[in-house]
Amino acid sequence: MNREALVAQTFVSLTDTLVDDFDIVEVHSVLVERCVELFELTAAAVMLAGPDGDPRVGASSSEAMHLLEVFELQSQEGPCLDCIRSGEPVVNEDLEHVNGRWPTFVPAALAAGFRSVHALPMRLRGTTLGALNMYKSDAEPLSTEEVLLAQALADVATIAVMQHQAARDAQVLNEQLTHALHSRITIEQAKGIVAERGHQDMEQAFQRLRSYARRNNLKLADVAQRVIDGTLVVEALE
Amino acid sequence: MTILQKLRGPGETGGAARLCEVGAEVVGTSGAGVMLMADGVAGGSPCSSDAVSATLEELQFTLGEGPCIDAHRLGFPVLEPDLKNPDNKRWIGFAPAALAAGARAIFGFPIRLGSIRLGALNLYCDGAGSLTDDQHAVALVMADVVARAVLAMQAGAPAGTLSTEIEQGADRLFVVHQASGMVSAQIGVSVGEALLRLRAHAFAGEQPLSKVASNVIAGRLRFG
Repeated sequence: MNREALVAQTFVSLTDTLVDDFDIVEVHSVLVERCVELFELTAAAVMLAGPDGDPRVGASSSEAMHLLEVFELQSQEGPCLDCIRSGEPVVNEDLEHVNGRWPTFVPAALAAGFRSVHALPMRLRGTTLGALNMYKSDAEPLSTEEVLLAQALADVATIAVMQHQAARDAQVLNEQLTHALHSRITIEQAKGIVAERGHQDMEQAFQRLRSYARRNNLKLADVAQRVIDGTLVVEALE
Repeated sequence: MTILQKLRGPGETGGAARLCEVGAEVVGTSGAGVMLMADGVAGGSPCSSDAVSATLEELQFTLGEGPCIDAHRLGFPVLEPDLKNPDNKRWIGFAPAALAAGARAIFGFPIRLGSIRLGALNLYCDGAGSLTDDQHAVALVMADVVARAVLAMQAGAPAGTLSTEIEQGADRLFVVHQASGMVSAQIGVSVGEALLRLRAHAFAGEQPLSKVASNVIAGRLRFG
């Protein structure tokens, strides 16, 4: 497959959020693996900003990369962390010429065979979700076009993850709304039945249902459903 | 001013009522209301910008027909620029009642988020005429805003309960369900059948369903 086709296919893979088995880790795995291929990297990884501020390592293209990212977190310093904290890209840094920056991280990275580093923010509307970290074993810089492309892929992955999450949240809320509505309607219908049979008003009917539910440790909606089904007669509601 | 800015307003925290006022204002119709029809179950109107809109929504709930009913079912906007001289004669029960209530043009926009279908946005005008392209576009945006607002309302409710605004909007419908329970006990039929009887009675007497329901609950009307 030629490069353009691979780029196109990568965009499609990253935006395919409608699958049942959508998985954030999978999206990030596709992102890092394709970046390695497209930009001839040695390795790539995604670091995620945690909800309570503690970043954690997401997908990595290799074990060595995973270990280095863990190390970066533990030493609390490194290009990926800088990128997450500032929301700004770190591009074409030659680890042999960083002038004392990241003093703990640099020797470990060089020892692992990584020479140049790039970290691109995964941001959406002012919120940084994490960073895409890319390493090469040489100091060959990424071109401007390659950096733009990598950022675009990272942005697409970020949008996909956030949209999926939003859709999931909306679905959950919708289910809660529908369920609450159904339950409430059932209760209102049962109140009517009890009011009629028991020659009571709605408030008394409601109290009767509620007392029965409490005494028998049942949910009000369940008691209501039984009254409607006829499996619980009004006379039994004592 | 953006829709969101209007919703927030000076010193306000938004809320359901404001949603419909803003809706009518930004689209440029006489009034707007939200019909909640989650999962095909009527959930009332969390907001209506005026009494006419509220009446139009109740009519649609009662009769089970109208632009919002269609829009919700079909998944696209259903537009009637002139109820008095329609190109397409539909809603035999609803159309004359809507005219009598003060609506001349009426438009239903589905309220949905992806595959989630929540209901429809009811927009009416007291004069005849179609929505302009701009108005149509704004109405689509407003429907989207309402979808999110409704879910946000529910998000604020404790688990298993309805949010206060949604509950208040559904009050008239709850009365109908209470009456259905009473009638089902009076004549020994299912609550579903009882609701149909109430509807038929309302239609025959040209009364709002909620009125018939109130009469049943007050004991002024019995079915058996």
